[in-house]
Amino acid sequence: MDMEIKNDFSSELVIPISYGSSEVIETGKWGFEKPETAFMTAPCQEVCPAGNAIPRFLYLAGEERYEEALETILKENPFPGVCGRVCFHPCEKDCHRGQYDEVVSINTMERYVFDVTSDHHPDIHPMSTLSSKQVAVVGSGPAGLSAAYFLGLLGYQVTLFEARKELGGVMRWGIPEYRLPKSILTKEIKRILQLSIDVKKGVRMGKEISFEELDQFDAVFLSPGAGLNLPLGIEGEDLKKVWRGRDLLDQLNSGDKIRIGKEIIVIGGGNTAMDVARSALRLGSKVTVAYRRTRGEMPAIQDEIREAEEEGVRFEFLIQPIKIRLLKNRRVRVKFQQMRIRGRDQSNRPKAIPIKGEYLTLEADGLITAVGEGVDLSWIPGTLSKNNLIDVSSSLTTPYPKIFAGGDAIDQPRTIVTAIASGKRAAISIDLHLRGWLYDDVFSKIRVGNKGALSMEAYLSGRNGGNWSEPKDTISYPQLNTFFFEHSKRIEMRKLDRNKVLKGFSEVNLGFTSDEARKASSRCFSCGTCNYCHNCYFFCPEGAISLDPLHQTKTVDLDHCKGCGTCAKVCPRYVVLMKELS
Amino acid sequence: MKEFMTGNDAVACAVRLCRTPLIAAYPITPQTPIYEKLSEWEASGELKGIMMRTESEHSAMASCIAASLTGVRTFTATSSQGIALMHEMLHFAAGCRVPVVMANVNRLLAAPWGFWADQLDSLSQRDTGWIQFYCENGQESLDTVIQAYKIAEKAYLPAMLSLEAFFVSHFMEPVDIPDQEQVDRFLPPLDLPHRFDIDKPGYLVPVVPPELYRKYKHMAQTSMNSVKEIAARVDHEFREEFGRGYGIIEPVLLDDAETVLVTAGSIASTARVALRVLREQGHRVGLLKLRLFRPFPVEAIQQTLKGKKKIAVIDRNISVGGGGIFCQELRAALVHSQDHPLTFSYIAGIGGTDVNPEVIERIALDVMEKTEPIDTPIWIMEE
Repeated sequence: MDMEIKNDFSSELVIPISYGSSEVIETGKWGFEKPETAFMTAPCQEVCPAGNAIPRFLYLAGEERYEEALETILKENPFPGVCGRVCFHPCEKDCHRGQYDEVVSINTMERYVFDVTSDHHPDIHPMSTLSSKQVAVVGSGPAGLSAAYFLGLLGYQVTLFEARKELGGVMRWGIPEYRLPKSILTKEIKRILQLSIDVKKGVRMGKEISFEELDQFDAVFLSPGAGLNLPLGIEGEDLKKVWRGRDLLDQLNSGDKIRIGKEIIVIGGGNTAMDVARSALRLGSKVTVAYRRTRGEMPAIQDEIREAEEEGVRFEFLIQPIKIRLLKNRRVRVKFQQMRIRGRDQSNRPKAIPIKGEYLTLEADGLITAVGEGVDLSWIPGTLSKNNLIDVSSSLTTPYPKIFAGGDAIDQPRTIVTAIASGKRAAISIDLHLRGWLYDDVFSKIRVGNKGALSMEAYLSGRNGGNWSEPKDTISYPQLNTFFFEHSKRIEMRKLDRNKVLKGFSEVNLGFTSDEARKASSRCFSCGTCNYCHNCYFFCPEGAISLDPLHQTKTVDLDHCKGCGTCAKVCPRYVVLMKELS
Repeated sequence: MKEFMTGNDAVACAVRLCRTPLIAAYPITPQTPIYEKLSEWEASGELKGIMMRTESEHSAMASCIAASLTGVRTFTATSSQGIALMHEMLHFAAGCRVPVVMANVNRLLAAPWGFWADQLDSLSQRDTGWIQFYCENGQESLDTVIQAYKIAEKAYLPAMLSLEAFFVSHFMEPVDIPDQEQVDRFLPPLDLPHRFDIDKPGYLVPVVPPELYRKYKHMAQTSMNSVKEIAARVDHEFREEFGRGYGIIEPVLLDDAETVLVTAGSIASTARVALRVLREQGHRVGLLKLRLFRPFPVEAIQQTLKGKKKIAVIDRNISVGGGGIFCQELRAALVHSQDHPLTFSYIAGIGGTDVNPEVIERIALDVMEKTEPIDTPIWIMEE
């Protein structure tokens, strides 16, 4: 045995002291198991349609490495500033911390990462060699811009067609300034356009360019959005005092001076209804929202409903308008049918049915309808459409081989983040199509959990060789070792002073201070992701683990790891797993 | 200056007088008053050292070992289940050759549960490589602490002294407390080599090959053997400084004795009274008090018991399946002496049962009547 031991028996020491190292003893040979670092998918990440690497960006934010946090988000989502403000954030609903105390403020942290890095201009450039293939993107909403962004990253030459004079689609025209300031959107678009995307503004499909002319491209992504106001289909809805919700928001977002009356009724329960109701408050009106189901069935984001209530919007539930009349005093009188909930409709939502003979009449100075939006399909061949939407497969292909579609024009939830997700999915589909690979095989490898999200980072990792590693499993709550966590309160962001809220269209939510952001991000359990908490390092009885958070490496000295499994037991986030040696 | 105090307090006094910088302990009845007394003195500033309140006896001993390796004097006190829990670390202390001093208050080992005097707790640790002393009273306990440091620090071996639960630990007697100056003169500041040296990092207790392990055990045995001589010399020096001493064994009225009572601890004290009665009755009975148990003073015992006819060893302990442990050791010590005496094992005082002078007289009379050897122990029960 090659160990240096002091063998001086004449010395007073009379005990063995090794001044060499005991490393020569390869205790690692004694073990039957070895630890493996196996990252897992967190539930927040799985449920995020964009598959955002949430634990990772929160870890970086917790370390105040905000530029890296931003770059992490940008791998999967080109709109952190927008999503950090208007996303319906399903991530928070599924946050494992919610089972422990209170969920992490993921949405506001995304916003903070964007806001705090406003001076940082990450270098956005293609991740692969440039392709000679040309791809057209029609529509510059969240789906179209995302598709253009990811196609640009994949090295394609993208031509982006936009009917309006400015880019952004629903993010620009459909969301009020107090929720999403235009300056934020402008900054995000500017970042995307670093990818030398050929932007053609003011080009309307079927007018300046025909559908057939898109044939010159190697592939086409259609994301025209859903910009048509759906009619109520009742008498009086064409009256001058009846506004269409999307048109009203469009005018407000265009900076038009608008005068609506003192008392306004809004019909509908979705996000557009909330946006117009709150906008009307800011124009000085008293607002009543009339919805045919109950509050529980309202499709709007819960936060929006709550904020509308707090700001003073009144709600009338279980009434459906059946007739609108203009009165002599220039007010409108709306006759409502009283409804009740009974059973469920085809989409499994509680169904509202009329209560025979029971009516309610309300009067107001004006009426705003917001009962849904439709897709303008007038310029698209009939074979591409189905149920007034563009007909797509799960890989977003259409019946036309090189045409793909996404966003609000296809059958999927109408949210910004699902539109972004469809842009990413379509970009990958187009790449696979142009390279002649099979969609499903690849999608099954690059999925983030089992709820539909795809990872562009995973896709890029295997794209060169056409080889992808197996997707990660999703971590369950019991797999966490919550012994190592301390209880703490969720951090809520500051809001604009109540007195100022209704005085204009200033942003209502104010985000975090740096201190709040640090606290909020450090509350993340980092489920399934190593955040260099050093537990494995501290508890390893052999001192066989070394960690380098800066270079994000964890090394296990396998020559000396006995496979005791302590590291796996003390890992709070189930990142270290013991694997039996064959 | 004499004070009226318990054996526990006498031990605490000795630790204070020895200026022990590091005391690590965990409370356990009947040792707790030592722990409490030292804590009080720490709080009042009378104790210059640190009282480390560890979470277990195992940790207490580990702390003492580590502290001792940095070159300082250390102390701990325990009893019964505490010393049993410490067992593993006792081997480490001996193997690391640290002169830790420990007071063990002899208390029975569970089960069944109890708090009473019984020497099995410390005797169970006889093979751990510790020097062991058994003390008759509070004064001897105090003095033995002081002596134990001097012996342990010369031999690089840990030392424990045992005093029986309640009979010594809690009985109050007049105890002569030496002056600090005297103790300082007798026990100069410790000058151990610093075996934990941050300027020269090394790894203690490394894995060693078989031959090296054997070598270290052999060295320990050699050192332990020298303790008999060291202990006798230190006791002699103690007598010169303080005017009292104990010897490593103490023969009482042995010169003309045919029958010898052999015992240790507080029973020796009672035996002195019984001896007076027996002598008055004309019996040629003597007493041999065993004080040093590890190393076992074989040569001194052989010398002292030369020519004796019969021996009765009184053990307040039982190695179940064997017999009284002092008796086993004594028989082994005498096996090579010529015409060695008949040695009988009496078990008395187990579990704190009373061993009064009458019990000892009974044993003496009983052994005098015996003519044939008996291998098995003889239990003394109430009549």
